[in-house]
Amino acid sequence: MNRPPAASDAADHAALILAIAQRQDRAAFATLFAYFAPRVKAWMLRAGVPPTGAEELAQETLLMVWRKAKLFDPARAGASTWIFAIARNLRLDVLRRERHPSELLAEEAADEDAETAPAADHAFDQREREVRIRAALATLPVEQATVIRKAFFEDKAHGDIEKELGIPLGTVKSRMRLAMNRLRAALGDVV
Amino acid sequence: MTTTTIRHHPSEATLLAYAAGTLPAALALVAATHLARCPVCRDMVAAAEAIGGTLLDSLSPAEMEVDVAAVDQVLERAGLPPAAPAPVLHPDLAPPLNRVRMGRWWPIGRGVRWRPLHVGGRAWAGLLLAQPGRSIPSHGHAGLELTCLLSGGFRDGGEEYAAGDVAEPVGEHDTPPVAIGAEPCLCVVGFEGMRFHGWLGLAQRLGRW
Repeated sequence: MNRPPAASDAADHAALILAIAQRQDRAAFATLFAYFAPRVKAWMLRAGVPPTGAEELAQETLLMVWRKAKLFDPARAGASTWIFAIARNLRLDVLRRERHPSELLAEEAADEDAETAPAADHAFDQREREVRIRAALATLPVEQATVIRKAFFEDKAHGDIEKELGIPLGTVKSRMRLAMNRLRAALGDVV
Repeated sequence: MTTTTIRHHPSEATLLAYAAGTLPAALALVAATHLARCPVCRDMVAAAEAIGGTLLDSLSPAEMEVDVAAVDQVLERAGLPPAAPAPVLHPDLAPPLNRVRMGRWWPIGRGVRWRPLHVGGRAWAGLLLAQPGRSIPSHGHAGLELTCLLSGGFRDGGEEYAAGDVAEPVGEHDTPPVAIGAEPCLCVVGFEGMRFHGWLGLAQRLGRW
């Protein structure tokens, strides 16, 4: 039976993805699925995806984790960040038939340094990065946290947020700039 | 990948939208062209993606229809191969533009040509080539617009832009941007809701995008 998943399992999550990459570990996949699939589904539902589509996108995201596990580099991103990006790209692909250009850049990088092996030394930095960002997000002023959450949870670019909140585009952009600067300051030397 | 001369970057709002996946594909492609050259903005996007990961972590789990304890049935579908990587179609262009399908060049005025990119979605993108001294066609903005310079230079609103720089204008251009320097100005432009005047407006209405 699976361990009860908790948010503090970030390092374990990275190790589970590596276990899939190294030996197609089905138990590792089961633990990741139990933790992330319901959260990806929750995110899709908040972004306005109907329940059936949200369920499918959540399952497909985790299947993509299984298929792409060998590409996971703990030195570049934490497990949650990596899975977030997979879910984001899949949602664009399925719902808008758009391809996120990060995939084109990744293919370029893969062509260039196909021989570079992932370095596990930086895994701690990436975990630390997610911890610091979580703490900084919690202390953002309400109006800055609002534009960040709308950007991530409601599928709204700054032009749409301008219309919805009835505040000028310049104000939306300056709130995002202030928020990003605070978060970057919180990251300090782990960036 | 040169990084030395970049002075103009996309706004934090644009990089955040790129990371969140809310930037229309055409604009995201322009941002990615800049990102391929700019480690500063790559760091910013990495931080923004970490926000996405953190927020994903913080969500209350939704109830799954599939039995999460019986993932073997989910893994039965894992045999499907991931989509093939996009081939390099234009080795002469910087990434990620080298892998993007595009149409032919269209003359859209004296010394100015336009080549539509096939990116899909609700916004448009294309390559714009202007001979030295020629102005970029005048236009107004009804939405977001992003330009990344690939080679040559242009002057807009008293600012000069060089290869790798991004212009992110707000509202109408008082005077059209002008190609400067000795070599032609090549840039990639993405926009939503922009209305060109003159020749480019005609091409836009004829659907040559």
